[in-house]
Amino acid sequence: MAIKIVTDSLSDITSDLAKELGITVVPLYVRFGEEVYRDRVEMTTEEFYHRLVHGNVLPTTTQPPPGDFVNVYKKLAKETDEILVIVVSSKLSGTYQSALQAASMIEEKCRIEVIDSQTVAMGLGLIVISAAKAAKAGANLDELADLVRKAMPRSHLIVYFDTLKYLAKGGRIGKAKEFLGSILSFKPILTVKDGEMSPLTRVRSTAAGMNYLYNFMAGFSKIEALAVEHAATPDEADGLVERLGSLYPKEHIYRSIVSPVLGTHTGPNAIALTVLEAEKA
Amino acid sequence: MKQVNAISGQDLREMFVAATGWLEKSSAEIDALNVFPVPDGDCGTNMLLTMRSTMEEAYRAPDRSVSAVSQAMAKGALMGARGNSGVILSQILRGLAQSFAEKESFTAVDLVNGLQQSVTMAYKGLSNPVEGTMLTVIKDVAAAVQAQVSSDGGDLISVMESAVNAAGESVANTPMLLQVLREAGVVDAGGQGLYVILDGALRYLRGEMEQMRFRKPQIIVSEIHATKLPQMIAADEVPYGYCTEFLLKGEKVKTDKIRSKLEKKGESLIVVGDESAVRIHIHTLDPGEVISYAASLGTLHQMSIRNMDEQHQDYLEMQKDRAPAVDMAIITVASGDGLADVFNSLGTSAIVPGGQTMNPSTKDLLQAVESVPSDKVIILPNNKNIVATANQVQSLTEKTIEVVPAETIPQGVAALLAFDYEANLSTNVQIMKKAMSGVKSIEITRATRSTKIGELKIKKKQPIGLLDGDLIATGKNNADVLDQMLAKLDLDKVEVITIYYGADTKSAEAEEISSRIREQHPQLQIEVVRGDQPHYNYIVSIE
Repeated sequence: MAIKIVTDSLSDITSDLAKELGITVVPLYVRFGEEVYRDRVEMTTEEFYHRLVHGNVLPTTTQPPPGDFVNVYKKLAKETDEILVIVVSSKLSGTYQSALQAASMIEEKCRIEVIDSQTVAMGLGLIVISAAKAAKAGANLDELADLVRKAMPRSHLIVYFDTLKYLAKGGRIGKAKEFLGSILSFKPILTVKDGEMSPLTRVRSTAAGMNYLYNFMAGFSKIEALAVEHAATPDEADGLVERLGSLYPKEHIYRSIVSPVLGTHTGPNAIALTVLEAEKA
Repeated sequence: MKQVNAISGQDLREMFVAATGWLEKSSAEIDALNVFPVPDGDCGTNMLLTMRSTMEEAYRAPDRSVSAVSQAMAKGALMGARGNSGVILSQILRGLAQSFAEKESFTAVDLVNGLQQSVTMAYKGLSNPVEGTMLTVIKDVAAAVQAQVSSDGGDLISVMESAVNAAGESVANTPMLLQVLREAGVVDAGGQGLYVILDGALRYLRGEMEQMRFRKPQIIVSEIHATKLPQMIAADEVPYGYCTEFLLKGEKVKTDKIRSKLEKKGESLIVVGDESAVRIHIHTLDPGEVISYAASLGTLHQMSIRNMDEQHQDYLEMQKDRAPAVDMAIITVASGDGLADVFNSLGTSAIVPGGQTMNPSTKDLLQAVESVPSDKVIILPNNKNIVATANQVQSLTEKTIEVVPAETIPQGVAALLAFDYEANLSTNVQIMKKAMSGVKSIEITRATRSTKIGELKIKKKQPIGLLDGDLIATGKNNADVLDQMLAKLDLDKVEVITIYYGADTKSAEAEEISSRIREQHPQLQIEVVRGDQPHYNYIVSIE
């Protein structure tokens, strides 16, 4: 029986890709006041960013309850006896907690391994994709878990932000709080380090930010996979992909949109680049 | 006194309906306490939504046995758990349901066993249980209930009273167990929520439904004063003002009215209590106004007004002493409060006052180098005449010094902005030098004497303009000089222009100049910043 791969909606894996690779995506929740929506399922990203910017209630986000994972595990246990769950960094969300707890509540005979990816967005997504491909090729659970743990340090996510306002309000700013309180305006570029948001550098314009992202990618000699995603700023993302096309086959770059739950914290106009570095021979 | 020896499934349900209503009344205040594990201020709302889901399911129970109702509740909680606090709450309800299995009703002894099971489940649910949270509170409650039953027997009202008292004490003690609460000067939000739920259940058992409509749950106040104001971390544009706290005693005091009256007077407003005593907490710029309003309603007690700006400064000072050696420090030379603020807000470790006509000595720079808690120090001289002085410092210290030879303020700012937090010292020096070279600097000042340079005839005190240190323009006023200079530059590739206006320059003039540039070059991002620098009316960065 093939192993089933489960992740959460913060992996930013599109529903088409999830279907193609047989990945089950458990949605987090985004909440405007007392209205609750399932991430990527019950609210379109367009509608979301419109409300984020123009609405009078700022959204908040919450992890899936253990019950959501229980339902997924139970359903998958009918088809397999091994499940690998790879979720968003436990320092950014309680999703890991829910996934882990749900695993202890299953009576079905099914081995479930839950891994805290220590990253988010396509930083997580590319690891999940790589695991799903290996699962299709017939790897067993231990091999897959090992593959994921080895891929984690090779997954490099950097995010260009238009503003840190949303990240600060949501309380997930981590070490990047050093970038708050500046008199001069600038666009921050952050990365994920030790599972939390961490400052990288500052640029003064979007163009300079895209240069930084381009140069960041150019600094890697061997690349296994590459992803570009955006929060309601498709033109910038297209432009970056065009440029990256000179270094890496454009059609192999994974494209996605930052999910509403993640968008609650990035705010609009963020661009994220993930490089999954190839394993050193 | 009323005594209750057993509780049916229906009563269990009504008890928690009452508790949910009680929680609703304080969920916003519980949100405000929320600093752990993530300070996102939604703990109360999460618990409330979890309880609503719990109670919806409770009405779907197949029969009215305590077994069926508690199982339905556990299921509802599990499916609807929101946030960490909701998850733990669902585990607590699950423990109760397991213990109440097959029972038609429950007794005090059943409750003792149930709560023990809740504790087990709650701890089991977390990979890394942390004390000083809801976990500690439910553990203390279970222990208190057990002690009560073994000494006094089976009246469920007394048992629940002991539970509520224990919860209150436990919540008040949470800051002693968890540092982040201590720093924020708050009790644990989830623990507070649990306390309110138990208190609501007790009030139902006592038959106080009517009174509950007109009262609010008590929010337990931390005895410890905040050293850190987590809500302020994000509010970088909100002035701090004064943290104003006191107790208002009076007759028929209306908390809702006070709240709506004070809502617009400041931030972090908390008004809790009943009609005879109300505790008021607010962060306001004008405590006088708040106090005179409150004094018109009754007498004021336990008054405390603290300047949060000072507190924040003290906190920053404290952090400085406590801060571990950071890997690299950056020292900048600048004069003018505004420029100092700019550099500070971008992460400079120390600022040495100095600039044109006021060059700091090698000793001044050395002192700054020795004062920062890093072994590797980058110096940004920001003036042509200070670069050589900065280069002297290395011979006088054991620390590793690198001078990024910025000759102007714009070069220094550009270099500092580009600092890469993940790169090492030598890479950073390269990155900063490169960033520095990508910026053009305009300085506008007054001629100190009449002279002629090339084609330019300059009268004493006439405005003159320097581009990267070279005198290239003169004119009748500052705006004229700046216009001439911008005309000589190719602005097509420029993205951002930052105008720092000096101590002797009016902000209105700076705004006027900037809005004209904006009209002429709508594609540019123009920023006007108070620099307060002496001598130079304007320093302009073009990048």
